[in-house]
Amino acid sequence: MIPQVFLVVITDPIGSICMFARFGSIGEWSMERILLIYSMAITAFGLAETFCRGFDSFPYKMVQNGEFDRVLLRPRSTVVQVMGSVFHIHRAARVLSGCIAIAWCLWQLQIPMTPLKILFLLYSLCGGMLLYMGVFIWTSGISFFSIKGLEWIYIFTNGGYQVTRCPMPYMPRLLKNIFTFLIPILAVSYYPASVLCGWGEPLWKGLLSLPAGIGFLSTSLLMWRFGVRHYRSTGS
Amino acid sequence: MHKKDRYKKEEKTDPGGRNPAAYTDYKSPKKAYLAIFRIQFLESIQYRAAGLTGAATSIFWVLIQIVVYTVFFTYADNVSLPGVSNGMSLSQTVSYVWLAEFLLLMQPSNFNPDILRKIESGDVGIELCRPMDLHSLWAAQNAARAVSPLLWRGVPILLAGFLPPPAWRLGPPASPLAFLLFLVGCVGAWILCFSFSTFLCVVRLNVPWGNGPCYMIFLLAMVLGGTYLPLQLWPDFLQPFLLLQPFAGYTDLPLRLYLGTMPLSDAWLLLSLPIFWSAVFLFWGRRLMHRRLKTIVVQGG
Repeated sequence: MIPQVFLVVITDPIGSICMFARFGSIGEWSMERILLIYSMAITAFGLAETFCRGFDSFPYKMVQNGEFDRVLLRPRSTVVQVMGSVFHIHRAARVLSGCIAIAWCLWQLQIPMTPLKILFLLYSLCGGMLLYMGVFIWTSGISFFSIKGLEWIYIFTNGGYQVTRCPMPYMPRLLKNIFTFLIPILAVSYYPASVLCGWGEPLWKGLLSLPAGIGFLSTSLLMWRFGVRHYRSTGS
Repeated sequence: MHKKDRYKKEEKTDPGGRNPAAYTDYKSPKKAYLAIFRIQFLESIQYRAAGLTGAATSIFWVLIQIVVYTVFFTYADNVSLPGVSNGMSLSQTVSYVWLAEFLLLMQPSNFNPDILRKIESGDVGIELCRPMDLHSLWAAQNAARAVSPLLWRGVPILLAGFLPPPAWRLGPPASPLAFLLFLVGCVGAWILCFSFSTFLCVVRLNVPWGNGPCYMIFLLAMVLGGTYLPLQLWPDFLQPFLLLQPFAGYTDLPLRLYLGTMPLSDAWLLLSLPIFWSAVFLFWGRRLMHRRLKTIVVQGG
């Protein structure tokens, strides 16, 4: 299973890599820059996935067959129970390869790493992890209302980090706004990366990653609670 | 469901199986496989809402890809060098992205869940009791599974492709003849898709731990099929390999015909390659299966 995740991580950006190899950089936007933003998003995604794996299969494993009734009977938080219902260590492969990619990009971009910068990197990855946990929680919470046809949530999970493939100055404003204000994926990938490497974004925007993650996670938890109240058992 | 009922009914009228007249339906295997195809197809197209939301996902995805390609084709440093895009223009690439998203729907990204469940639970044993050839049965099921998303998910994608302003639009085919050949190529892609997924089902039957590696192969096939990036935009030194490998027929070969990036005189090659590879997968899969079934160990009680 671990090589499988590695393959996913490698094949995802292969389109971008081939395009850069053919077309060269876009002004000052080199392949390393795009890869850095991408790998920050994917590392955060991987971290969240390592801990929140249970939410991924939640609609199929718990709502569709009524397993969730049992969770409701236990005197513990439903979120924690679902979170811990599945744990796959191999999901850490995404985190590992993401970290390697971040390190490689920073080295290629010749950014000197000080302890403060490493701390900042961890800070923003933390924010990213909380954000993606929020994404997992509300996307699986939707299954309280509809148990079939949940594929569109991939726009926000797997599709979300695909957005980082586009160089920032050329990204359409609408897309940029959606992924900054509605689902703050850029707030945990592009802005911190920009502050880290000095591409011109102010420091306070980079520091917004953790508050953005916390804010998104709390909203998701509220939605989850709303969903649980509307849960109707499908099992017998 | 339908087929099972009929099977039961016949059991009642002919418990010992001595009366061959009761089996007339199964004497014509073609009919049985068509029925299997129909059942699986009807079962998969009933989730209309799921198809439509899936289409929304695909369209969003296409739009992001178009943005990225447009940026490369407009602002990249090397864009004025000759041959940088290997004969593909931006508008061709945009059309490619729309149609690739449509053809992607036929491609197997995982096992047919019904078949996988049977392999894992040992119900293959029950399948073997049916008076049908197991390999053809699976092929019929996979064939239906490959075309069923095209209606509720594929058609909205194509319609959406005609709506946006010209820079984002799905362009017309290179010529009417090219369009006809493209349609033939799509049928070839469909055959290739289900023969490969059937082949992997057989492989999965042979290796008890095979889920992970098989998923890797599914993914690799989609990458090599040209869904992630048109094969012509891959590095130049890989081009001969990319053209001849089995999965080019998934997406890239039919689209070369549609876009006219390959001369029509080469159409015979583009159309026969997927058929050749499908034949390889079907024959090899059938041989593997028959060898396997001689020594099969059925799991489960």
